[in-house]
Amino acid sequence: MLLEPLPEQAPLRKQLKDAARASRGKHDDEVSERDRVRHERLAQWELTVGIEIHAQLNTSSKLFSRASAEYTDVPNAASWPFDLAVPGSQPLFQPAVLVPAIRAALALKCQIQRRSKFDRKHYFYHDQPAGYQITQYYEPLARDGHLVLTQQDGLGEKDGGKIEIGIKQVQLEQDTAKTQEQDEVTSLIDFNRSGHALIEIISLPHLHTPEAAAAYVRKVQSILYAVDAATTGMELGGLRADVNVSVRRLDDNTSNHSYSGVGGLGQRTEIKNLSSFKSVEDAVRAERDRQIDVLESGGTIEGETRGWSLSAPGVTRRLRGKEGEVDYRYMPDPDISPLYIHPEVVEHLREHLPPVPEQLLDMLCANYGFTVVDAQALLALDNGGRLLWYQDIVAHLKVRENDVRSRLGVQVGNWVLHELGALLTTTETQWHPGLIDSQQMADLVSLQAQNKLTGPSAKRLLRILFDGDKRSVAEIAEEENLLFMPMTDEEYDALADAVIEANSSEADVVRQNGKQAKGKLKFLLGQMMRQGDRNRIEAQRAERILQTKLSPVGA
Amino acid sequence: MSPAFRAGGAKIRNGIKQRTSLVAEEYRRLRLTKHRAVLSHIAEQETSTGRIRGPFQNVIPLKDNFVTTDLPTTCASYILQGFKGSDKSTVAQLLEDFGITVVAKTNMDEFGMGSHSLNSAFGEVQNGPGTHAQSAGGSSGGSAMAVADNMASIAIGSDTGGSVRLPAAYTGIFGFKPSYGRISRNGLVPYANSLDTVGIFARSLADVASLYKILNKHDPADPTCLTTDSRLRIELAALRRGLAPGETAGDNLHIRVVAAGDTSEQETDLTATEAEHIGLSKARYNQPRRMRIGVPDEYNIEEMHPLVRNAWTLYLSALAANGNQVVPISLPTTKQALAAYYVLAPAEASSNLAKYDGVRYGIPRSQQAPDNHNGPLYSHHRGEFFGDEVKRRILLGTFTLSAGAMDNYFIQAQKVRRLVQHDFNSVFRLAHPLMDASQNNPSGVDFIVVPTSPTPPPLISEVKRQSSLDSYVNDVFTVPASLAGLPAISVPVIPDDDMPHTPEKNVGMQIIGQYGDDRKLLQFVKANPEMQMNELMDGLRTWKKSRM
Repeated sequence: MLLEPLPEQAPLRKQLKDAARASRGKHDDEVSERDRVRHERLAQWELTVGIEIHAQLNTSSKLFSRASAEYTDVPNAASWPFDLAVPGSQPLFQPAVLVPAIRAALALKCQIQRRSKFDRKHYFYHDQPAGYQITQYYEPLARDGHLVLTQQDGLGEKDGGKIEIGIKQVQLEQDTAKTQEQDEVTSLIDFNRSGHALIEIISLPHLHTPEAAAAYVRKVQSILYAVDAATTGMELGGLRADVNVSVRRLDDNTSNHSYSGVGGLGQRTEIKNLSSFKSVEDAVRAERDRQIDVLESGGTIEGETRGWSLSAPGVTRRLRGKEGEVDYRYMPDPDISPLYIHPEVVEHLREHLPPVPEQLLDMLCANYGFTVVDAQALLALDNGGRLLWYQDIVAHLKVRENDVRSRLGVQVGNWVLHELGALLTTTETQWHPGLIDSQQMADLVSLQAQNKLTGPSAKRLLRILFDGDKRSVAEIAEEENLLFMPMTDEEYDALADAVIEANSSEADVVRQNGKQAKGKLKFLLGQMMRQGDRNRIEAQRAERILQTKLSPVGA
Repeated sequence: MSPAFRAGGAKIRNGIKQRTSLVAEEYRRLRLTKHRAVLSHIAEQETSTGRIRGPFQNVIPLKDNFVTTDLPTTCASYILQGFKGSDKSTVAQLLEDFGITVVAKTNMDEFGMGSHSLNSAFGEVQNGPGTHAQSAGGSSGGSAMAVADNMASIAIGSDTGGSVRLPAAYTGIFGFKPSYGRISRNGLVPYANSLDTVGIFARSLADVASLYKILNKHDPADPTCLTTDSRLRIELAALRRGLAPGETAGDNLHIRVVAAGDTSEQETDLTATEAEHIGLSKARYNQPRRMRIGVPDEYNIEEMHPLVRNAWTLYLSALAANGNQVVPISLPTTKQALAAYYVLAPAEASSNLAKYDGVRYGIPRSQQAPDNHNGPLYSHHRGEFFGDEVKRRILLGTFTLSAGAMDNYFIQAQKVRRLVQHDFNSVFRLAHPLMDASQNNPSGVDFIVVPTSPTPPPLISEVKRQSSLDSYVNDVFTVPASLAGLPAISVPVIPDDDMPHTPEKNVGMQIIGQYGDDRKLLQFVKANPEMQMNELMDGLRTWKKSRM
């Protein structure tokens, strides 16, 4: 799969500058007239995209060697003879890689195949020590899955509210070594990554907009995260995508190419090694526009491999044509016996499959009273870590009843997202699971729910916990004088009397005009609140006693 | 002949060092003067932990495609010149653990590709001097010569399509290729993984059996090496041999089954129930039995040399005289087997040899190699350092695996391979122990006896006049057992004391058994006398007279 070297990397600052310039350029393009013409032109064409995603599995072992797959920055320290293709060394399948692989395939609604096999895919490159990659070409691990995209996933209007993307197959394969160009004649190769376990997820050509293409990749990544099949995403280089792009004129049914059983399509091209969601979208858009340009000017599209780079996001460039295409000469690997997966293993993993984001979103909204926006925010934080913390807190509260759960659920959500969020922002701190113990957080919410903490006291307590205080919440509240001691009726009485006496003219207005003198009543209430003990006085009770004392005569 | 070594061996003696030195000295002399059988050997000053009992006792040469850590491993190719492994092959390790010293690495056809050991980057192996030099056979010709020439009692080769059996037949010694997966291939540089086996050379059958016992072990480092479970299944299947389907025996007893080859020498007691289940009687199992010998019609080819045909006839007569039953059988796919082999083996080779790019080991890639600027990678390096036959087979394999040719060659050849397996299963009495669909066949044969090669060893000068296609035909009798993974041994026609041995009269008889039936195969050969050269010559004279 990873035949191409990564697209030439410009220094980061230059990349950012170019990207900014490119996006400025796009804004300039959005002059309405040109936009309209472009829109009309696009309306005559249908874009079709299929995507192959390569994702590093979350596993501590390599696919076929006992070397560790944990990250190390010592080059070639994690390379066993087989990872270097030393003569005489043989592949030893590591069954542990199956757990994340099967989880991923199940989350993508695939059928896990009872029997799958490994094949060799041949090509020469420095990062491929054996001269072939071991993959599953003829009999993959899993087939026939699908994934649903909705507007929540970033679908544009053109895609409609909801589309289903077929997944042709999910296969296991080896990653390549890492190449670093030292100078013009020297490449340094680090074989630590060589032989890491990847899955390749091949979609059917069911995508029809650049936005949907990007949304698909984003969604696959979030699903892989959710079921713990992958932990390093596109931003860390753990997930890469190849896109197949074709266009056809809508009023023309002479397009006769067929890919993965989907017929009536135009000639496709492939763009390899895209490493961000944005690049998927930009590359598809650029290739679509190029193909339409070519076809409209009477040309034909050739089946070829094209490249895309961040430094020129508006165009794709030809890498090699069909005549230069590599014949991979797939051959069953004679050293590796077929993989038989017992249905019970699959069922066990299915039963213990963590929920995917959609399910979590539904759960948060339906059971915990979240808004969609808050639920999405919570899901997106800290790779789902914040959600786990949230669930721990709710569990500590031991709430059973649905309505209570819903009410407290929102409160806990508010603390976890907004109150703590504000603290993290102002102190520029990164959240981590050990930051505040979930039990402490639950105690805080519980105290407040029992009216033993006022809002401001609760916030002070949160700050104390945030700063690492390990005392129990009860101790802190007690020792820091944060517990709410409500004022007695007598105290309210005396305080009200004192305020009325000091502000007799305002009091008279209220007495005479009743409800119309709302402003004056508020003024008096304000005086009460200011003079009373801030940590003990409750506005509602203060207002009630003022109203009683100042009710119009005879009312 | 007494075994050159025994299990357990003698205690380590003083003077090992001197003996090892003596061996090294001897090897140095031999390497310089004889046959080019040896590519490298241990140095004089090296000590050994071995139990050496005579100059050439308890030492062993390995074919140069077994990875060793102190001697280089080149596969007789320039491209691996200077390569020393970091982990030694399982075979080398097992031998050392037993106290047998690996003294030398032997010459071979480059990467095992050849039938005469002439395709070596480091010189041709020869049997005999000058213009009279005979082919030592290939590809393990160096190891065969070392044994045939008394440089060692035993040697290790590898057999992909006949590379141990053919040199054994050509040099007049025993050459045993066990069932595929019996002996670990870990550290054996692959030619064609699905066919490669570790093979044993010896001058005596007892040595073959002893060495086989040391090496026949499960190895977790080789994914194709038989597991302990499979070995047990094979043992149990073999125990059924004497029984017709449905037949049971009365006196079921505890039978001790050695899961042959398990590293821990684990033994399993069959319970009475299990014994009942397989209908086993101890008495019945131990009872010597007449074997039924199959003679496939398809091997009786026109091109067969009269000396070979005569040896075949005589050997079969001897077996019949010993009380065995000789019956004609048919293996109809034999003709296609050779073609299938020469599609499959080069296909796997083209894949296996893709790793030799000069980046990580072997002879380094020169800076001048014009591999940059969108040219084909590594072609300069590979073009320069692979030999002609290797290049020929890589090209052949690359072609048969290419998108346009795959269906017509590689896939067809796989089908032929299945048919060859099916041919064998349908004639053997014993079911294939690892194939569920295979069933015992009461009227089937126990062993198949055919010549190892259609001709005695040719002169090297003759071989050189042949096209490479002609020399592929040498493998016609050995390839079918390789395709089916069956155990096969080449048994020499033994020269008589009163008749000076000349290599041109070397003939080997090949005995083939059902998959996993290795032990019985060796027992059968032991029970039937080796043929003496004078019988053969007498027979030949009679045969010639009858044609006059």
